[in-house]
Amino acid sequence: MNNRTFEQRLEILADSAKYDVSCSSSGSNRRGAPGGVGSTAVAGICHTWTADGRCISLLKILLTNACIYDCAYCVNRRSNDIPRAAFTPAEVVRLTMDFYRRNYIEGLFLSTGVTRSADHTMEQLIAVVRKLRDEERFNGYVHLKIVPGADPLLVAEAGRYADRVSVNIELPTRQSLALLAPDKPRESVIAPMRQVSGLIASAREERKKSRTAPQFAPAGQSTQLIVGATPESDREIVTLAEGLYRRLDMRRVYYSAFVPGSSDRRLPALPTPPLLREHRLYQADWLLRFYGFAAHELLDEERPNLDMRFDPKSDWAVRHLGLFPVEVNSVEYEVLLRVPGIGVRSAQRIVAARRHARLGEAELKRLGVVLKRARYFLTAGGRYLGGIRLDGATLVARLLAPERRPARLDQLELFPETPDASALTGEL
Amino acid sequence: MTACYRYDGTLEGFLCALALCLESGGGEAEFLRPGAESGAGLFAGVPRDVVTERETALRFRERFVTAVSRDAFATLRYAFHSEAAGVEELLWRYVLAGLKQGKRLERMLAQEPVCTVNRLARAVSHEAHRFTGFVRFREVAWPVGDSWGEGDGEKGTTFLYARIEPAVDILAFIAPFFTERLNDRDWMIHDLRRSQAAVFNRETWRLVREVELTSPPGYTADEEVCSRLWRSYFQRMAIPERHNPRLQQQLVPLRFRAHLVEFGGEES
Repeated sequence: MNNRTFEQRLEILADSAKYDVSCSSSGSNRRGAPGGVGSTAVAGICHTWTADGRCISLLKILLTNACIYDCAYCVNRRSNDIPRAAFTPAEVVRLTMDFYRRNYIEGLFLSTGVTRSADHTMEQLIAVVRKLRDEERFNGYVHLKIVPGADPLLVAEAGRYADRVSVNIELPTRQSLALLAPDKPRESVIAPMRQVSGLIASAREERKKSRTAPQFAPAGQSTQLIVGATPESDREIVTLAEGLYRRLDMRRVYYSAFVPGSSDRRLPALPTPPLLREHRLYQADWLLRFYGFAAHELLDEERPNLDMRFDPKSDWAVRHLGLFPVEVNSVEYEVLLRVPGIGVRSAQRIVAARRHARLGEAELKRLGVVLKRARYFLTAGGRYLGGIRLDGATLVARLLAPERRPARLDQLELFPETPDASALTGEL
Repeated sequence: MTACYRYDGTLEGFLCALALCLESGGGEAEFLRPGAESGAGLFAGVPRDVVTERETALRFRERFVTAVSRDAFATLRYAFHSEAAGVEELLWRYVLAGLKQGKRLERMLAQEPVCTVNRLARAVSHEAHRFTGFVRFREVAWPVGDSWGEGDGEKGTTFLYARIEPAVDILAFIAPFFTERLNDRDWMIHDLRRSQAAVFNRETWRLVREVELTSPPGYTADEEVCSRLWRSYFQRMAIPERHNPRLQQQLVPLRFRAHLVEFGGEES
């Protein structure tokens, strides 16, 4: 399968890798070292965006797209008739360095299909990163996939070279996993996650004692869930994500709208990927991580799915109108964060600025706080910013109403009888 | 009467002008870049030429940092590089407010001139961050035909050359970033709009003004291969079912694309 040109193989392996949605290059802060190439930026850097609006930050590539498993949702499943290809470790290293030096990428995201066994595959991945780190002295970002079922010793070695490691859960429940990925028992996914979580925590402890202690995956671990391939509700997904964040100290859970393409009878026939649902799940995910929300506040048994009409925070606020409006000059930071339309930055600015001066509507605007939605939930200096008080139903209507712009007025003519103004300037 | 100062257009020069301003009592002031005309018309004073001295600039920085904070000075520096019309006068008011209010300046987010200065600084820092991702180095054989005029390298080596056209002056912010990241190659980032370049010789970088190419850069054979691979990789990474060019354009506005290899920029 390797008699194709390098470029053809690159295309095949890129095609096979693109469905993994993890893209970030953040969470690791390493300065460049003399004699080495590269550094990492803690906020991550996006280098470009493809025609679907997703960013390219890392060179996301598979070592091989041949796979012994037959997971129904996966483009690389054994039974799928697609061209197969493979790279050697040296080829991946060369490509990474060439792209990195030209500033195309922040680093490497290396994944692979499973060949022979989980251990053998994991060893192959580690060989690439070891070469990159030890021979090329590469200091940039590396995200490495952990192969489910790989030996714990190999997992421990992977984390010493990589900035971030990930194992994909893919499906939220045990039943779905058994149905669509019969070769991957849930334990083989959860066990390495637990192990990585423990290793990260202990490496962090060691670093507190000694600054020269070896790091283990300094950018933490992430995982991915496919949305829409199985009948789970948003509540199950968000609750699972909350558990991963709280118990396994996961950095990110990615949600991937299921892209239909296979005629497998176990999969639903969707006309298009559920992109809006994916978007709402990300919004809910942000509320869990940065806004102090708990999963049970967003969704419960009566309402197992997110409202597709507006964002989960507005949805929550409309259901808790009794708590609003709040006074922008005195309310705690945690409550400010719960006001629809106010994000972390706005809340921080408000808290800093109000220590110096009382804030009114003009001051809020000067701070850059967007009041489009927030005004209905705020008072400033005792004055309600939303105009008239609204009950729930009218407020929902107002929030949903498209931006009301005055009908475009026709330009007043200076010389209405002149048929074409440009005739005056001699352009005709 | 508005005092009028003519400085050399650099941050260092501007800091010296500010120091001079403070010395002479600190009233209304106007600052002129080289070639600029005073806007005060009839009421304009005779412009005083400001001598740029590193020591004066450093002393002024120290004074401002002690009085306010390191962050406030960083904000001033970012805002200065926005090159916005009247930014010097705005920063002069910012400095006066800072020396008067001290550490409270940073909390005056909702007051002028702080909020405008912050807004400008944010815009510059955002643009600089974008270009840490958007700079595209291309490998150039060096020297090609006539030499570049700057530096003296061995014959037959290669170096990395990038062109950018940022909306604001960001070279001073991104050059240290690339110095740390790519320290094993010579490189040059050329700001076409301002005809200046950051040049790195594997040890330090320096800013060179009035840079102009005498001939088009001669890309190496490796460069052609590599940029072709990158283009085809870039094409392949898009998922057709999620096609969303509007979102793409929001994230990579057209003004950046002229120099991005993957968008067909600088097709040679």
